[in-house]
Amino acid sequence: MFFCKHQTHKMSSYVLTRSFVGAAKKILWRTLHRPIHEAAESHQISNEEIQADLPVQLEKNPYEKPRVKCILCKYNIEPDYKNVRLLSQFQSRYTGRIYGRHITGLCKSKQAKVEHEILKAQNAGFMAYYFKDVTYVKDPQLFDPDHPFRPHNY
Amino acid sequence: MPTYELTMLLRVMPKTDIVSTLKRTANTIFSTGGIIRKIDSLGFKKMPFKTSAHSLVHREANYFIIYFDAPPSRIFDLDEAFGRDVDVVRRRIYKQDSEPPEACTLADEIKPPPYRSEVQKMLEMAKKAKKPQFSYNTGLDYYPFQK
Ligand SMILES: [Zn+2]
Repeated sequence: MFFCKHQTHKMSSYVLTRSFVGAAKKILWRTLHRPIHEAAESHQISNEEIQADLPVQLEKNPYEKPRVKCILCKYNIEPDYKNVRLLSQFQSRYTGRIYGRHITGLCKSKQAKVEHEILKAQNAGFMAYYFKDVTYVKDPQLFDPDHPFRPHNY
Repeated sequence: MPTYELTMLLRVMPKTDIVSTLKRTANTIFSTGGIIRKIDSLGFKKMPFKTSAHSLVHREANYFIIYFDAPPSRIFDLDEAFGRDVDVVRRRIYKQDSEPPEACTLADEIKPPPYRSEVQKMLEMAKKAKKPQFSYNTGLDYYPFQK
């Protein structure tokens, strides 16, 4: 009987300790891994609060450089065969040759237009083929032929 | 009828003769059913190069520009008629520029080569021109063809 009693006592203490540890573990588990529905019950998170620390999606690159324009497009100048003074700025004063795109820094369409208009002006007898008009020689330089914007095409 | 610009270099002569030459030119244009919009005088100037016209050498000329509308089929006849005029040293007929200017593409042109559309096109062409080559991932431990 005694033996039996002793055994029951020992057994109950064992069950008690086991259940206590189990409960503690369970509480710790529940606090660490709370299901979402419980969290939502205890604390309502507003929409703004969620989005406050989310990464913001930008529409465009804030560090993007502004689009450069060539000098004729910038000032909205259309080359014309009658405007010989403007066209003379794109030809060499020594040989009358038209400077290339790597020197003038014009966009493709404007460079083609300038070359075409110079040809028209020369053909109509408005502009010289082999030299620049002496009265236009002192005009301001738009570019430096000795220091081209880009390396030569060839 | 499209608008044309007639640039005329008239030889050195008194003003009355210049007027009569311009009237003659205008009448030629009117005879084709055309109209004159404007006549600009750029003045008496030295020509950038000497010109021989009608067996005479000219170094100076009176510059005129006539803006006119005429049927395109008659432009050749007009030019030929002005060429026969002994008072005209040099003349050209240009169509008036009416196309709107294109947007500036300089920003795209100065990009590094692989970002330029024309370079990308060239790379694609080179890719197409490439001949098919034997790929070594066949699982064989030797080259199956004669080398
Ligand atoms: Zn441009």
